[in-house]
Amino acid sequence: MAYKVTEENNISTVYLNGEIDMDVTDTAKEAILPLIEAGKEVHINLKDVEYMDSSGISVLIESHQKATELGTKVTLKEISKSVLKVIMMAKLEQILNLE
Amino acid sequence: MNFKEESDFTVNSSSLKEIRNFARELFEKVEELNDYKEELVLALAEAAQNVVKHAYKNQPTDDLMKVLINYQDKTLNIELFDKGTAAIPENIKPRNLDDVKAGGLGTFFIGQIMDEVVFKTSKIDWVNHLILIKKF
Repeated sequence: MAYKVTEENNISTVYLNGEIDMDVTDTAKEAILPLIEAGKEVHINLKDVEYMDSSGISVLIESHQKATELGTKVTLKEISKSVLKVIMMAKLEQILNLE
Repeated sequence: MNFKEESDFTVNSSSLKEIRNFARELFEKVEELNDYKEELVLALAEAAQNVVKHAYKNQPTDDLMKVLINYQDKTLNIELFDKGTAAIPENIKPRNLDDVKAGGLGTFFIGQIMDEVVFKTSKIDWVNHLILIKKF
């Protein structure tokens, strides 16, 4: 997995790609959580994520919960078909912010 | 088309991608499996992840785990063998989805994807033997 971060209008967008499993969740957290802790609104772009398992879903849940706790927001953008399938299997489509 | 293939992988998180690729290549050979390829790969990968996280508690090891995939007469058996701490099947339960928290979803995914999950602990040379079954 690789990632890049862009900033625009005080919104940080984290672009994740590749396969997200327990081997790379620490890297994903290191990319996302400091932005939330800094109070920024964060978009996580999942267009190029080909595979995500329960570890990756846990990162999304943790990010969402941390943002709610700190009064900011995480939105999942351009979710790939394979990731959306896993989010729906976990019945999280009503809980996470999807666009 | 029937097939039976097995391979050994080191017990660590870096092996998960290799396990997924091993399974994907096999599932792509059979049309009915190919249609469910990513779900089946996810179920196997979640089970393998549980070996790393729970049977070995993320501790470094040179131990191997064996993956055996057997497709006969429209029944798929995905078997996983390891030598980690013996699992207690009664303690392995899918998470309540109403309790939204990070972690614990893997077993739920396996249950959603597969028709049957069987735990065995008596296999000679191995400690845990997990069988994931799906009928087509």
